[in-house]
Amino acid sequence: MLKYSIKRILQSIVTVFIVITVVFLLMRLLPVEGYYGERADKLTDAQKEAILRKHGLLDPWYVQLKNFYSSLFKGDLGNSIIYRRDVPVVDILKPKIPYSFGFGIASLILSLIIGLSMGIHMAREKGGFWDNVWSAFVVFINAVPAAVYLLFIQMYVTSITKLPILFTKGNFVSYILPTVSMSLGGAAGYAMWMRRYMVDELNKDYIKLARAKGMPNKDIMVSHVMRNAFVPMAQYLPSSVLLTISGSIYIESLYSIPGMGGLLVDVIQRQDNTLVQALVLIYSVLGIFGLFLGDILMAVFDPRIRLEKEGGAR
Amino acid sequence: MKSLKKMFPVLLILVMLFAGCTPKEEEGNGAEVRESEDYYGIYSGELTTINYLTTSSTAEFAIAANTIDCLVEYDNLGIVRPAMATEWTISDDGLVWTFTLREGQHWYTHDGTEYAEVTAQDWVDAMKYLLNPDNASATADIAYRVLKNGEKYFLGEIDDFDEVGVKALDKYTLEYTLEKPVPYFLSMLTYCPFMPANGQFLEEVGEKFGTDNEYLLYNGAYLFTVWEPQEMQVLEKNENYWDADKVYIKKIESKYNKEAATLAPEMFLRGEISGCDISTDLLDEWMNDPEKSKMVRPASTSFYSYFYAFNFDPRSVPEEYEPDNWKIAVNNINFRKALFHGLDRTAAVLTLDPYTPERMITNTITLKNFAAAGGKDYTEFDGLADIVARESFDPELAVEYRDKAKEELEGEATFPIKVMMPYNTSGTQWTNESQVVEQQLENLLGEDFIDIIPVGFPPSGFLNATRRAGNYCFQKCNWGPDYADPETYTDPWMPDGTYNWPERAFDPEPYNHYKSLVDQAKEEVLDLERRFELFAEAEAFLIDQAWVIPIHCGGGGYVATKLEPFTSPYAPFGIADLQYKGQVVMKEPIDTEEYMRRYEEWEQARKAALEEQAAKQGQ
Amino acid sequence: MTRKELQTLTAIEDDALFTFAQYDPEAAEKTGYSDYSYWKSTFRIFFKNKTALLLLAIMVLLVVFTVIQPYLPNQKDPTKIHIDPATGHQLRNHPPSKEFWFGTNVIGQDLWARIWSGTRTSLLIAIIVGIWEVVFGIFIGALWGYVRQLDALITEIYNVINNIPNTILLTLLAYIMRPSFKTMVIAMCLTGWLGMARFVRNQIVIIRDREYNLASRCLGTPTWRIITKNVLPYLVSVIVMRIALSIPGTIGWEVFLTYIGLGLPIETPSLGNLLNEGRRVMMSSHLRYQLIFPAVVLSIITVSFYVLGNAFADAADPRNHY
Repeated sequence: MLKYSIKRILQSIVTVFIVITVVFLLMRLLPVEGYYGERADKLTDAQKEAILRKHGLLDPWYVQLKNFYSSLFKGDLGNSIIYRRDVPVVDILKPKIPYSFGFGIASLILSLIIGLSMGIHMAREKGGFWDNVWSAFVVFINAVPAAVYLLFIQMYVTSITKLPILFTKGNFVSYILPTVSMSLGGAAGYAMWMRRYMVDELNKDYIKLARAKGMPNKDIMVSHVMRNAFVPMAQYLPSSVLLTISGSIYIESLYSIPGMGGLLVDVIQRQDNTLVQALVLIYSVLGIFGLFLGDILMAVFDPRIRLEKEGGAR
Repeated sequence: MKSLKKMFPVLLILVMLFAGCTPKEEEGNGAEVRESEDYYGIYSGELTTINYLTTSSTAEFAIAANTIDCLVEYDNLGIVRPAMATEWTISDDGLVWTFTLREGQHWYTHDGTEYAEVTAQDWVDAMKYLLNPDNASATADIAYRVLKNGEKYFLGEIDDFDEVGVKALDKYTLEYTLEKPVPYFLSMLTYCPFMPANGQFLEEVGEKFGTDNEYLLYNGAYLFTVWEPQEMQVLEKNENYWDADKVYIKKIESKYNKEAATLAPEMFLRGEISGCDISTDLLDEWMNDPEKSKMVRPASTSFYSYFYAFNFDPRSVPEEYEPDNWKIAVNNINFRKALFHGLDRTAAVLTLDPYTPERMITNTITLKNFAAAGGKDYTEFDGLADIVARESFDPELAVEYRDKAKEELEGEATFPIKVMMPYNTSGTQWTNESQVVEQQLENLLGEDFIDIIPVGFPPSGFLNATRRAGNYCFQKCNWGPDYADPETYTDPWMPDGTYNWPERAFDPEPYNHYKSLVDQAKEEVLDLERRFELFAEAEAFLIDQAWVIPIHCGGGGYVATKLEPFTSPYAPFGIADLQYKGQVVMKEPIDTEEYMRRYEEWEQARKAALEEQAAKQGQ
Repeated sequence: MTRKELQTLTAIEDDALFTFAQYDPEAAEKTGYSDYSYWKSTFRIFFKNKTALLLLAIMVLLVVFTVIQPYLPNQKDPTKIHIDPATGHQLRNHPPSKEFWFGTNVIGQDLWARIWSGTRTSLLIAIIVGIWEVVFGIFIGALWGYVRQLDALITEIYNVINNIPNTILLTLLAYIMRPSFKTMVIAMCLTGWLGMARFVRNQIVIIRDREYNLASRCLGTPTWRIITKNVLPYLVSVIVMRIALSIPGTIGWEVFLTYIGLGLPIETPSLGNLLNEGRRVMMSSHLRYQLIFPAVVLSIITVSFYVLGNAFADAADPRNHY
């Protein structure tokens, strides 16, 4: 396992380098017009040149790439060039990450609690009343686009309950609605998968055997069904936890949470190269690391799964 | 030189007029000390910087407009008043402008701590910063085109900043030397590139200047006390400001919300904010609701001028849109006039303002109320006055021109003529307008005559892909002014323009005529009325040639707000209308009717003020 | 056991009760043969599910209607701007009426025609992307999961593509090719298969080392045969569900892309841009119909695919066959 882990980590570093290099080059394919601002039509050539020079965009791409990597190795992610001009990228991200991470984790936990218990309940009462009720909920969340139902919740719930419309730092009442509405989508997803796998699992022969043996239903559920049903989910869980820092674009836009949600989309459209590169770096490290952790976790939950290549196996 | 001498007394009177009007203006607007509530707003675009010396974004100008005081300022009728300077003189040749500064004014940090006195050197240091190409200022050209040796310094042709035409003669005396006489120089001084900055502070904070509210000093009506990006901005009144009596709103607190367009109207109804925009989508609902209609009124329009341009050089239009055929057609004046008189501008502008489109529509490129000479608005000068008075949309005339064009182009061009019309897909309004224009023109002129093909382009690199590359046949373009003089609106048709290249028409004669008129007007720097006459003649010729179809002005739309209209400083360009100074937050918002009534009042007051000013100059 | 009982039992041992059967070769075949057919059973169970059948009927109707709608009589052009004869200008925000069943939008276009045209566009995108996802995603996923030599390479490719933000690709594609139907489909296909591939790979990793696969390998069964005969059938139920969800998923993705400003221009109606337009007037009771109609159509599509996918997955599970 250790050898496998080291190999995977080395491989991941290579991947991250490929990713940011590709992203770096892709960003340079976008038109430079984006850097000139509102007076693009009026600027003189000398001014345009000065602006491009200031952002280091006059150099050939390989020089820019070299500069980028040499400062990256010194631990410098550079200054933002458009989003907040001349402010170090680190200073921009530092206050944002805790918001997204906090809301992300809170809603992830909430959605796991709601989703899994709902899924289990549905599987146990398959075909029964509650199965239908929860199914209706899951169907509703899946059917109505998030952009619509989230706005709907914000508008009507705040008008009924007098909860504040916008998030305010330090006012804990204003944290409730964003967290809850953010967890709905996840909860529906988890419930659906949980139900599906539990139903699959309950049909398996060893469960029938366990039942025939007279094993208590509760024990069957906990030590057999749930554990096995959890395996496929285990793969995604670490990435989900780590990538909560990327935030939720809908929730953060609607409730004015100053987090990371939509930041990447925004800075790509505004061509803030340094910020795009920094974000892609962070997200890809976390994403790749999450995938790796997921693999490990999956192997832990299900000893039958072997990750490293062994003699004899193809 | 004769005209110079003729003009000099006028300028001198102007100067004295401005200098002398401080005490007696009390009788007009804002006589009594007015009560105002605080203002709570919501905004959807965060500032990228507050470095007012480098930015070119209107939203970012707004912070500087409220926190930095210029040498002069505009009042709510658009008359220039003294601000940081108390008086000024102009040399005989019109090249040297000398300003005497108000004494005892100070720079404050964001928390209100006194930093240093405001001195003449601050304008010199700011200019030095602006003209340093390393700082990549996007407004440097505005300053260096008029200041002596400015451009040379920016381009690195001279190294000594002392040669540039800005000097602090002593602590309170500032002198600008110009490259050539600029009749509108005073108006430029209210714009960001001519704002002051403390040199010691600039050095102290270095690269950080303007990156955060603590890295900026303030000498204006407000202090930028809180800036939490993507969260909130707070402006608080600067109690030590020289004109603090006219700053009524004590605090302006704006919260960030990316979905402001959707949420703000509801928040306004719940009383959580003091004002918001009402988008075209929502307008029907607000106008038809008896309660809500009392709260919604038009917003002021801007001086961005929009016009449909005919491209005389469709060099990068793809073959599928038959650029050669278009080129033949566009060189026929009757063809252009068929479209000119065929375009139902009201129909198109309804996508922008469904209730008062007439407020937006313009018949000229230079907009009404933009500049005046001798108490007369520019658009009322000969030539333009006729154009302003008529409606260009005339279906019968259009059909007449179409038939003429068909006859003349028979055998040369193939019908229907394909018209590639690009639009930016990022917003819905332009897309809607394109569809309206396409169907309206094709219905009127016949699908066997023209085939308008709207082509959507993405926002990234939009203008480079379309207009600037000559990749269009017929496209809506715009231009915004940089100073208060009609000259600014002629730039798109100057030889280095990237608009529609009428100089590349088959017959260069009309363009040469236009160019000579503009050149003549530009030379006329001292007799403003003559200057305006010449510009008006040129513009009337341009429109008569149907090189473009003027359509509407910028801004506009509707707002629900408690801000009292027509109390903010008024200027045809730049930053005046972004100022909260002089504005009042009322207890209740007003409706459209009340707004229109006050607009008429304001218009008359402005007319009177201009006439009064002209009369004094004429003495 | 009492004697009496014993006697009874012996009494039953009557020759009449048991007779030797004749050897019948046909009947002998039958014991080794079952008329069980996987797909037949799957469909039999599927057709027992009444809700699923109802939704299937609704969906088929919806799809058929979407296709034939423009050829029906009295249909309007989705981009034609209707003029109000009273004012001579656009018939703006006309509420639903006899003439305009779903009302008109802000520039007087018929919402009924736009919704069906939009549904056509969105469904077509979803189907093209869905087919690509299934074919390419399963192919790559199967190779990835089963062929260990390819694991490192495909993981690398997956990680690289997965970590390049979609927005960059879309912005670039839109810049190079202009925003259009084609651009949208290409952009979605470029990355759409990733989820399916990873999903299939994970499933395969879970079961590839199970005993029966080990046995197959020991017997020298070729890799491809193991994948297609041993592994994939086992996964049919979950894959079918995944496919069923990919169609509404793609539509949802399109809605999201429109929300962030990378969708189709509104000149080409799609469910994404109709919803986004409608969303802005959600708080206006008189205009809300512009949101409700497209949202209902979208919900019908999503719900039917979702429920059908689930029902089919249940039916496709051999353990539910009896």
